[in-house]
Amino acid sequence: MQKSAKYLLVAGNIFLFAATVLFFAVYYPYHVHYQEQYQLFEFTAAYFSSIVSVPGGLADYLGRFLTQFFLYSGIGSVIYALALVLVQTLTFACSRNKSLVNCALSFLPAVALWIFHLDENALLSADVAVILSLLSALAVSKVRRDDVRHICFIVGIPVLYFLFGSLSFVFVCIVACREKPWWGISGVLLSLAIPFAAQYFFDYTLRSLYTGLHYYRFYRVVPVWAWVPVITILITAVVDCTVNHYGKSTTRTVISVLILAVIAASVPLALKHQADFDKEELMEYDFLVRFQKWDKIIEEANIKAPDKPLSVSCLNLALAEKWQLADRMFNYFQNGPEGLLPSFVRDFTSPLPTAEAYFRLGMVNTAQRYTFEAQESIPDYQKSARCYRRLAETNIINGDFDVARKYLKPLKNTIFYRQWAKTAEEYLNSGEIFDRSRDLSEISSMRLQNHDFLFSDTEMDSMIGTLMLENGRNMMAIQYLMAYCLLKKDVARFCECYSMIDDGRVPSKSYQEALLLAWVGSHSDFEGLPQYLGGQNTLRINQFIRDYKQGVPADRMEKTYGDTYWFYYYYRYQ
Amino acid sequence: MKKILSFAVILAFCVSCAQKPVQQGDFPENAGPIYPDYMDVTIPDNIAPLNFCYTEPGLKDASTTFSCEGLSVTIEGVEVKWKIGKWRKFLKHASGKDIEVSGTPLAEPWKIHVSGDKIAYGINYRLIEPGYEVYSKMGIYERSLSDFDEHPLIENTGFSGCVNCHAYNKGNPDAMSLHIRGDHGATLLMSDGSLEAYNTKTDSTLGFCVYPYWHPSGDYIAYSTNNTRQGFHVKKEKLVEVFDLASDMQIYDVRNNCIITSPELKLENEWETFPCFSPDGGTLYFCRATAHPIPSEVEQIRYNLYKVDFDPITGTIGKDVSLVIDAESEGKSISFPKPSYDGKYIMYTLSDYGNFSIWHHEADLWILDLATGERRRIDEVNSADTESYHNWTADSRWFVFSSRRDDGLFTRLYFAHIDEEGNVGKPFMLPQESPRTFYKDFFMSYNVPEFVNGPVKFDKVRARKIINSPERVPFGFRWSD
Repeated sequence: MQKSAKYLLVAGNIFLFAATVLFFAVYYPYHVHYQEQYQLFEFTAAYFSSIVSVPGGLADYLGRFLTQFFLYSGIGSVIYALALVLVQTLTFACSRNKSLVNCALSFLPAVALWIFHLDENALLSADVAVILSLLSALAVSKVRRDDVRHICFIVGIPVLYFLFGSLSFVFVCIVACREKPWWGISGVLLSLAIPFAAQYFFDYTLRSLYTGLHYYRFYRVVPVWAWVPVITILITAVVDCTVNHYGKSTTRTVISVLILAVIAASVPLALKHQADFDKEELMEYDFLVRFQKWDKIIEEANIKAPDKPLSVSCLNLALAEKWQLADRMFNYFQNGPEGLLPSFVRDFTSPLPTAEAYFRLGMVNTAQRYTFEAQESIPDYQKSARCYRRLAETNIINGDFDVARKYLKPLKNTIFYRQWAKTAEEYLNSGEIFDRSRDLSEISSMRLQNHDFLFSDTEMDSMIGTLMLENGRNMMAIQYLMAYCLLKKDVARFCECYSMIDDGRVPSKSYQEALLLAWVGSHSDFEGLPQYLGGQNTLRINQFIRDYKQGVPADRMEKTYGDTYWFYYYYRYQ
Repeated sequence: MKKILSFAVILAFCVSCAQKPVQQGDFPENAGPIYPDYMDVTIPDNIAPLNFCYTEPGLKDASTTFSCEGLSVTIEGVEVKWKIGKWRKFLKHASGKDIEVSGTPLAEPWKIHVSGDKIAYGINYRLIEPGYEVYSKMGIYERSLSDFDEHPLIENTGFSGCVNCHAYNKGNPDAMSLHIRGDHGATLLMSDGSLEAYNTKTDSTLGFCVYPYWHPSGDYIAYSTNNTRQGFHVKKEKLVEVFDLASDMQIYDVRNNCIITSPELKLENEWETFPCFSPDGGTLYFCRATAHPIPSEVEQIRYNLYKVDFDPITGTIGKDVSLVIDAESEGKSISFPKPSYDGKYIMYTLSDYGNFSIWHHEADLWILDLATGERRRIDEVNSADTESYHNWTADSRWFVFSSRRDDGLFTRLYFAHIDEEGNVGKPFMLPQESPRTFYKDFFMSYNVPEFVNGPVKFDKVRARKIINSPERVPFGFRWSD
């Protein structure tokens, strides 16, 4: 190995490892968590056989195995970093000439994979497939006897396709470049024929069988960035075989610097075009809701107020959990009733935090439906540990213990959910589940017992109102009902509902503002205004009305009145 | 391949798991001393081994002896699993007789009645997780009834959409109608060796063809066309309500590629669904309900059973629709009428309201004796929970039905025998190789079980191709004379 190549290899890998860990752990951690919540890795024979029985199954299995650790973003970041370092090291190890140029080129596949993982739907099985294919190529290239090596090559093509999927083309590229043209062409032709034959055995489209089934969550989408490493490995292999690596030292250095410059330039470009920090924010809110980090949600919102329906709904849920919804909801951006309980969308992301809101309201069947639908929408047909846990809980609350046990069983076969599932099952079997779990017993007491109707998102106030009627201590329902009326700008309905909870105490800030707005709409002066609505409030609404009538621009109004219900009423959710 | 891998991995992973003591929660709470409950069931002599497991918590050892007229087999262990060759030999010997089962831990011996009436080659069904509107991986699968072999005919991994209503003509594996929903919606018709994708919606009909039933001649398929919606309950006892906002009846003329219907089957304020032909092909049975506002009066929708003449020579639908069963007057609703192929009975599902009985815990199977007009609930097969879809074998000696008796949610298949005199035997659950874990670990529900008389030769590569292609053969339309 050239000395300069050795230095680059060590320094480059240290940098690659550190940069990857830093990026995923600090700037992109919720993308890491996101991977874990859409899978349920079980240590069972049935789970193993169901995954490895399709092309690319072993890579998929190993990818899922590693992804279960992404529950902790730090570990996930290290796994990503190790995978990229391995790809680089093996790519370089596969080149015959351990030159500086080859060393620089060998960073390309790793960087391409890093860019691939900026997409939240990129799966770790692609890395596993590339690593194991490189390893296989390295092993075959070590075989000295030509006939044995040729047999390994030809036999290896279908075997590796079945084990690692179509990215095993990496193996074909590397070995074909090293062999005589006839063998190389035969290998390439064979590798093209195999997916065609596979369509007769597996129920997937020909395109999916060629481009890979499990490298990307949407397997009908061609995972272009998963194939860039293959192209760069092919380039590396061709350069390795065709270029003189031992020419002038300056030329080698210039080429290597150019390659590294291309890599360096690709990073900001990738961050600009491939990374999605808006999604990172949504994932963060979803993650915090999942683990009920209500204070942290409010903390985050204080730094940067959320503005998407989903993140706003997470914030509102956190405020309600901390009994601050009525006082503080208009301190933040609100985008209508959708920011409270977003409408159902047939995807695997948005129903989950909404399901949490329904669960905590006591609408257990709706929470169950949203959770189930989210899980069924996972594009690569995986199950979700998060969803199974929630489905077990909803079935426990509904008294469907057999069904609950069914959901607990797969969780008992995991590393991180096993203990919870075992404990839940023990309590279920001993009949102590509601005594032991405060959460389940609380929600069980909040759910509807006597009324039944078909869920209708156009009659949300009636549904939440029924929850409140059945259980006057359901504080979540009270907060949500009031907030729903306010966000819908239905002040009359708000006043009607408020009269049901009015206990003579000073109402919360947004309620005061809404009551005052209702007063102003139906009275010519403040004569007879309840005392708790008077004082500063009347002065402020008078100022607001004056400024509004004078046509003060919205941005100035927002500065002065942005935290009031009046501002929301006249300027938001038009 | 899957089986080989399973076998290898099971060996590697699960040797230590074998014969673990029975634990609480291993079986449904309502399970009897053995699971599945095969005590005193009537089975055909060509069925797969009735493997079962003892359910007593803490039980570590068991010994079970099967005896029948001089032949006896003893199996050790809490999970009673037969070797398939041994089972077949034993069953052949026991055909038309009773098998006595004894041993520990049960004090009393019990029996399995072996009928000489053979059951069909196999069964086709849809497997899907019982849920709401969204579906994950699912498909139509074929299961051989004489062993445990199951393989997919088509899965939705090859296209975007879902597969549902599938039907064979009296179990004939060469004639199949299969409906695909979703982005690549179509009705696939497999007939005379060809497989085509049709657009079954015409300008003169309500929508796509949905529930199919083949005419015995194979020249027609009766379909309902339904505008179906779902509603979701908030009370814990109920989850889902499926209802139609409109529905009509129509008959597809296979030879002339044309939909036939009549004003009598397309009434304005009436909803018609679940068509089926009599075995002689001269009568079309169907369910009909008076329309009610949805969802406010969803619990008032009740379907009766009607019939109308059909002339297969001319493809003419009769003018006189007559009432066969007035369920509405009894506060009940009929779904899935299925005439037996010997012309003796019509089996149907009776629930409190609506037509999607699988979500109704009160739904039961009933039978109408066409000779006497007597109706009765088939108590021999019903349970405290849902019984819903059902089908007859070609010789009308066996029927399959779906039931949620295990846990109230996951639909499982049961088979029952009916003899010449109409006596119905105790049903048995679809046998599985590993009864201790199979149903517990299985998150799919069995939908629309259809008997087949032989393996279905379904060209899945062509099916994927035509489903993914935008090309659809359009249906023609004509009014019945």
